[in-house]
Amino acid sequence: MAEAEGSLLLKGYGALSGTYDELVDAAGVPRPHARVATELLDGLTPEGFQRCQSLAELSLVQQGVTFSVYSDQRGTEKVMPVCLVPRVMGAPEWERVERGLVQRLAALELFLADVYGDQRTLREGVVPGEMVEKSKSFEPRLRGVKPAGGVRIHIAGVDLIRDPTGTLRVLEDNLRTPSGVSYVLENRQVTKRVFQHAVEGGVRRVDDYPSQLAEALRSVSPEGVDPEESTVVVLTPGPFNSAYFEHSFLARSMGLELVEASDLVVDGDDVYVRTTMGPRRVHVIYRRTDDAFIDPEFFRPDSLLGVPGLMRAWAKGRVALANAPGNGVADDKAIYPFVPDLIRFFLKEEPILEQVPTFVCARRDDRMFVVEHLDELVVKAVDEAGGYGMLMGPQATQAERDKFRELVLAEPRKYIAQHRVELSTCPTWVPERKRLEPRRVDLRPFALASRALGTIPSRWVLPGGLTRVALREGSYVVNSSQGGGSKDTWVQSSQA
Amino acid sequence: MISRVADHCFWVGRYLDRAESTARLLQVTRSLAFDAEMPTQAVWRPVVTVSGQYPDFCERFGDKAAGQGDVVQRYMTWAPENAVSIKTSIWGARESARSIREVLSLDIWQATNELYLWFVSEEAQRTYAHDRDEIYRQIRRQTQLSLGLVRSTMLHDTPMDILWLGVLLERIGQTARILDMHHYLLDGNGHGKSVKDAKDGGAPAEPGAGKHQIVQTALWLSLLRTCSGFEAFMRVHKGRVTGHDAVEFLLFEERFPRSLRYCVRSALGLMRRIWPAELAAIGGAPLARLAALDAWLGERKLDFDPSSIHDLLTHVVDETALVCSEARHAMSGATTASEAAGEPGPTTQQQ
Repeated sequence: MAEAEGSLLLKGYGALSGTYDELVDAAGVPRPHARVATELLDGLTPEGFQRCQSLAELSLVQQGVTFSVYSDQRGTEKVMPVCLVPRVMGAPEWERVERGLVQRLAALELFLADVYGDQRTLREGVVPGEMVEKSKSFEPRLRGVKPAGGVRIHIAGVDLIRDPTGTLRVLEDNLRTPSGVSYVLENRQVTKRVFQHAVEGGVRRVDDYPSQLAEALRSVSPEGVDPEESTVVVLTPGPFNSAYFEHSFLARSMGLELVEASDLVVDGDDVYVRTTMGPRRVHVIYRRTDDAFIDPEFFRPDSLLGVPGLMRAWAKGRVALANAPGNGVADDKAIYPFVPDLIRFFLKEEPILEQVPTFVCARRDDRMFVVEHLDELVVKAVDEAGGYGMLMGPQATQAERDKFRELVLAEPRKYIAQHRVELSTCPTWVPERKRLEPRRVDLRPFALASRALGTIPSRWVLPGGLTRVALREGSYVVNSSQGGGSKDTWVQSSQA
Repeated sequence: MISRVADHCFWVGRYLDRAESTARLLQVTRSLAFDAEMPTQAVWRPVVTVSGQYPDFCERFGDKAAGQGDVVQRYMTWAPENAVSIKTSIWGARESARSIREVLSLDIWQATNELYLWFVSEEAQRTYAHDRDEIYRQIRRQTQLSLGLVRSTMLHDTPMDILWLGVLLERIGQTARILDMHHYLLDGNGHGKSVKDAKDGGAPAEPGAGKHQIVQTALWLSLLRTCSGFEAFMRVHKGRVTGHDAVEFLLFEERFPRSLRYCVRSALGLMRRIWPAELAAIGGAPLARLAALDAWLGERKLDFDPSSIHDLLTHVVDETALVCSEARHAMSGATTASEAAGEPGPTTQQQ
């Protein structure tokens, strides 16, 4: 059959039954848009591929592309494992994803403005008031604040998965401080370095992300400040943060200063950075710190972390914070089930992107169904992220399921449940067996927003995004802290 | 200082910088080719064109081959018959250095010799075959090591000044040629001419209009990377990349050590040390020419017009070539310029 011709690596590779594979169809034939990748693999022997893999890993270590794992007390730095077999998306599909993301984020942006404004969505019952008010990330004291530049979701990372029918679905919105974009750029660098005979001209580029981000950040400069003249900084919790590499990477490639909270000071209602030439006013802060550590005066009186007075400066529109504080209410897992309705409500359009059907445990009927079908469902705590605080029903032990039943019944608002989606797979290098095997993947595209001209900011979507892969056989968990790796994502160029 | 020694010093500098610059150009172009969304001709042909070797290349491989990354890379890296290939440059640097070992420090000689021996080894062949990026990286690193040792281990005296003058004059020509590769995006007519080889290669056709902005940014970024100016540029321009700014930066930024302005300025300073006023009868001609070029660049900065970029660069390349031959003439004690003119320095070509 066609699958074996010429391709030593894909020979014998078969998709899992009942699962969609990103590169080959059920018969093992490369999908037409994936040919750019499969042709690259053609002629590579397992030994040759292994050599490329080793080069890629060496290259990442040399460049210091590392993350630290929170649970690892020694603060070990790890290289995010990368598999060189890319995930490929066709041009027409990507174009639809792009439109879908722009639509979804427009609705979420309007929802946030509403939640911190008139609350029409709550009054008219589009979203149950309880879902918002009880959200850990909802900050009632921020009602009435109009952020500088009129944008709240400057940088969004929306996680997509693909079901066995080939339909892409939104799994989760990340509207606070989504990370991972540096891996997208580094993975591409590594791909370019390692593959000797690149498919020239067939893949869309990603390396203008930093320029686009700098532009987006500048565009939200406070009123009365010329964006050309404004000072933009990147705020990091510091070198011990797991994503520190990314913070410094972005600052360096945008030519901006990377600052820590102690470098900033608020005087009156303005924010300044301490410099050798005296204090200098800061207009836009791309903050990679959590809400809780922005301003001890506002969030945590007991904490010394953060910049005292920063929230006051933000609330007065004297500084822009990207992303806006309080955004967590919109990417709360408890709000997720209502996003399609929000799109219809605000935009009068049908959602372009599907999402995963979800049981809301706060609803009585849903809750009863969930506790009776725990062995079929994935249960997620709404306030947890990163693959923590969830029950993978089908794989869990009876004891684990019993524990979750109690948890759900005790605090139903805290939980949602979904049927497990058989995530799509992509051929992935398994070093122990020196061959490609299907491993499950997701996709996190990144979207940037610039100052609103009307009510909705204009958005730019990075072609592709971060493809994360569950490296362990049979695993569905793609998070880097739990055995996940990543892949370069190629969006087919529309001219090709 | 003996004229012959001076000439070798000059060529050690020029060849080392040329090897580094070519390696950098190939490395960046290779990366550009992957996802620039441009036809391969548009990506690779300018590399051959700006080297001045387009006629020779076409004679050997045909003009279609200028769109084949592998053919271009092999030709620009290994071909001994290519007067500006990395191999020719490394060999030339080593031959010149060998002739003046007593003038250089032992460290410089060893680093340069090791570079040559490594480059002609099977190991380098293997690296080229399996890790293309790495071989360019190593060439850059090894040439930088030699150049760094020049400044940190050699007596800061006339021999070093002359060697460094070679580095700077070479860098001016290289930077100007690299800038000229995609000047057609700036001058607006879409089919501009390229320095030296307008009639042989010219510039690639303008990419599709819809992709125009994206393609341009890709090119500016790669231009900056080719000149190691990415981070420096981003710091000055805070992440905003436009063709105008990128080109202006590489032309005029006085704080950036690879910009034309910086190199011309520094070369002028060295020349004034090599040929102080009392030696004006000997070194006056190249010095005056370079001083005029420096002043001319200063004026162009004030009224910079991107549409005239090709003319500007052509002028810089032509004047620098004249400065080089006049400087060599001055060093040689020869009676006429024609006696000293003409590249390359070491006259015997190996292989």
